[in-house]
Amino acid sequence: MNSDIIIKVENVHVRFWQNNVGVYSLKDLITHRKSPFKTKTILNDISVEVKRGESMGIVGRNGSGKSTLLRTIAGIIKPTKGKVTVNGSFAPILAIGAGLEQELTGFENIHMLLALYGTARKNGNAIDNIKEFSELGEEVLRMPVKQYSSGMVARLAFSISLANAADILIIDEVLAVGDQGFQAKCIDKIHQLKAQGTTILFVSHFPEGVLKICDTAILLEAGQITHRGPAAEICENYKQLF
Amino acid sequence: MQNITRIYALSKRNIILRYKNSLVGFLWGFMKPLLYLLIFIVVFKANSGVHNYILYVTSGLVLWFFFSNVTGQSVGSIVGSSGVLKSLNIPAYFFPLAETISELFNLLLTLAVFLLIMHWWGIVYSLQLLLIVPCVLLFAIFSLGLNLLLSSVNVFFRDVGIIWGTIQPAIFFLTPIAYAETSIQKQYHLIIQCNPIYYFIKLGRAIMYDPVAPSWHMWSHCLIISAFMYITGQFVFNRLKNQFISAI
Repeated sequence: MNSDIIIKVENVHVRFWQNNVGVYSLKDLITHRKSPFKTKTILNDISVEVKRGESMGIVGRNGSGKSTLLRTIAGIIKPTKGKVTVNGSFAPILAIGAGLEQELTGFENIHMLLALYGTARKNGNAIDNIKEFSELGEEVLRMPVKQYSSGMVARLAFSISLANAADILIIDEVLAVGDQGFQAKCIDKIHQLKAQGTTILFVSHFPEGVLKICDTAILLEAGQITHRGPAAEICENYKQLF
Repeated sequence: MQNITRIYALSKRNIILRYKNSLVGFLWGFMKPLLYLLIFIVVFKANSGVHNYILYVTSGLVLWFFFSNVTGQSVGSIVGSSGVLKSLNIPAYFFPLAETISELFNLLLTLAVFLLIMHWWGIVYSLQLLLIVPCVLLFAIFSLGLNLLLSSVNVFFRDVGIIWGTIQPAIFFLTPIAYAETSIQKQYHLIIQCNPIYYFIKLGRAIMYDPVAPSWHMWSHCLIISAFMYITGQFVFNRLKNQFISAI
């Protein structure tokens, strides 16, 4: 594999069982007397390459497979067919409140997630960095996350994800919450990481956000890539869908 | 190594969550067995025909509550971890595994207290008591297998947890914990013998209650049952795990 290419997705298909008759309990299964599952294709023959240091936007309607594509690239979903080759490390996917445990306090969440992400103790100032970046005070971090506002949750989740140095950063529609000040700060941080050579995959429903961050983009429609090109051009294509 | 850190972090989370908002914390773990013990003393003791009834019941209850807690908590462990599972490439079996480990930790504390207190109820301290460690490990492997099975099926059919909660008391009373094995009539022995929990309780009791060492027969029963349960659980889990993300 060419060392310039950090992510290579080859003819990837992802199919899920879909529960199409509303059977969620064994009782229903017995009364329906038929298999409740139907296979649904979410990603249909996706092939894409991402260069090291590229920031690629992914746009498309709801349900077009954007999040599934991100998770497949990150190795969270195994493709039904096809192959994903990645030549670098991932930061955890940034989605709203990802992985935060509601009952635990901010600090407890930080400790748990850092251990899960594999940062562990070797990075002693990770916690300080998170505190500083999130701008959440000691008092807030001692409260259970369930008492946080959605903006505070976003701050914490974003700060924890960024505490890990990684080659690839995946952002799934997370900048929509959080106040303007924090949004601007996040975008600055993303630009800074980009300048350092981090590859970025960015999903958003807002073309402005994609234009701010991404050089290139893809447009997904019904699990297939219909357009691939410079971000400005793809955002135009996206707007024409509506 | 990284995986060990991860499993440790999850187990620790479970322990923190469990005792989080409770006033007496760890002591809660003893309330349930104690309550059961008191009920059994009132209801069954007189007619049980069991020598040293309190030691007999408690040795069974300690193991039963490990089983009951660990399965009850694991059932929803995958559904309840959707946030982490959807944002991080982390094997899903870590979650039922971490539940089993945190509950095992709990059992060790409970056992330590139990062994101390049972001094007044005539427990014999000898090297034989150390055999409880392999016995508990076999029981934990059996439980882990069942946890893998329950937690993965529960992703698709959410009433598995409810069904399991319903049949648990039946399994409890079909296990000779509160009564002597001999008080079951001959024609019903088969029912008891089909209950896998029976063999683990029997082994644990042979170690903690009877002064004689458990036979190889008893060890091999438990070994076979736990191996079988673990393999079954792992098999079902592996068949289902690629579909978890879309269903949680």
